Amino acid sequence: MKSKDLHLDEDQVIRSVVDENDLSVSVRDHLSTCSACQRKKEQIEKELTSLGRMAKESAPLPRQEIRLPFHKPRGLWSWRPVFATGLAVILLIAGVWWSGLLVTTSGEKMTARIIGETENDRQLMAEIDALEEYVPYDFYPDISGESDPDYFVEFLEFVVPLE
Amino acid sequence: MMADINYQVAELAEKARAGDRASLEQLVNHFHEEIFRMVYYRTRSRMDAEDLTQEIFMRMSKNLSGLKDAGRIRPWLYCIALNRVRDFHRKKRILSFFGTTTELDAVAQATAGSNNNPGDNVMQKEFRLQLHRFTEGLSRWEREVFMLRFVDHLRIREIAEALKKSENTIKTHLYRALKKFRENPGLRDLLRGEAL
Repeated sequence: MKSKDLHLDEDQVIRSVVDENDLSVSVRDHLSTCSACQRKKEQIEKELTSLGRMAKESAPLPRQEIRLPFHKPRGLWSWRPVFATGLAVILLIAGVWWSGLLVTTSGEKMTARIIGETENDRQLMAEIDALEEYVPYDFYPDISGESDPDYFVEFLEFVVPLE
Repeated sequence: MMADINYQVAELAEKARAGDRASLEQLVNHFHEEIFRMVYYRTRSRMDAEDLTQEIFMRMSKNLSGLKDAGRIRPWLYCIALNRVRDFHRKKRILSFFGTTTELDAVAQATAGSNNNPGDNVMQKEFRLQLHRFTEGLSRWEREVFMLRFVDHLRIREIAEALKKSENTIKTHLYRALKKFRENPGLRDLLRGEAL
């Protein structure tokens, strides 16, 4: 049987859909005269045309217009990303400044407290020094159990020798 | 008829390249819907398609002076669009790697691309789902060539120019993709029903 009489196989039909010119001359001749092979080819092409049409119908249409570089300046609403960025930067700066203020304020409070405590300590030390300098003898005889003041001085020198 | 349109488009491209703003606007209007659809089928997100389409035309207007042959504006524009879509997917993969977008987002977007199209009918949703399933089963180049040929209606020569490959390579990918298409009952049944 001549190749001219053979129907196109599946591969050849697909090749004819891709590009008919890629088929051999004899196969092309057969295709041009065989209605059965043409139907096979047309069936695939019909499905592919249908695919293209459905793809077009099933895709949404664009909503936004294309803006080209030379178009007019944008409206206020379209500047919203710029506004948002600006606002974010301002908030960031305010945040940094505020936190700095907080640090300063708490630092000042801390300094004042330290000064107060130092003053208290100084007063306490002054009282202790005063106590050392001027011992309130009248209080201690009760502790020693003696009423004689001289005895008490001796007693103190015994407890805390001066030399 | 087709040759007339191609001639007019080439003329617009020529004028736009020379700095004619009106021609550039007409050129953008001519390709807007087509490029948006092309991007939409590759991102499955209306919002991303809007943003990318804007970027593509900005790039087109910026680089138009570099177009050597005004008659080749269509494959040249598709080349820009394909590169932008590729960048988009690359960026998305990087973000997904760092956990900024999740796999769940990707799946939801893949299957529900219809959520943002209020005018959808069941058939259109089913078509998109079947097309997505079919193209997922193709290799990257088979998918790209198949989509450019049968969804975007580019000729083999135009596809070769847009993808910067030889026509024979394009034909080979197209042949393989068509073989898989013939073996895909879901999409073909849907199309046969539609073709009747």
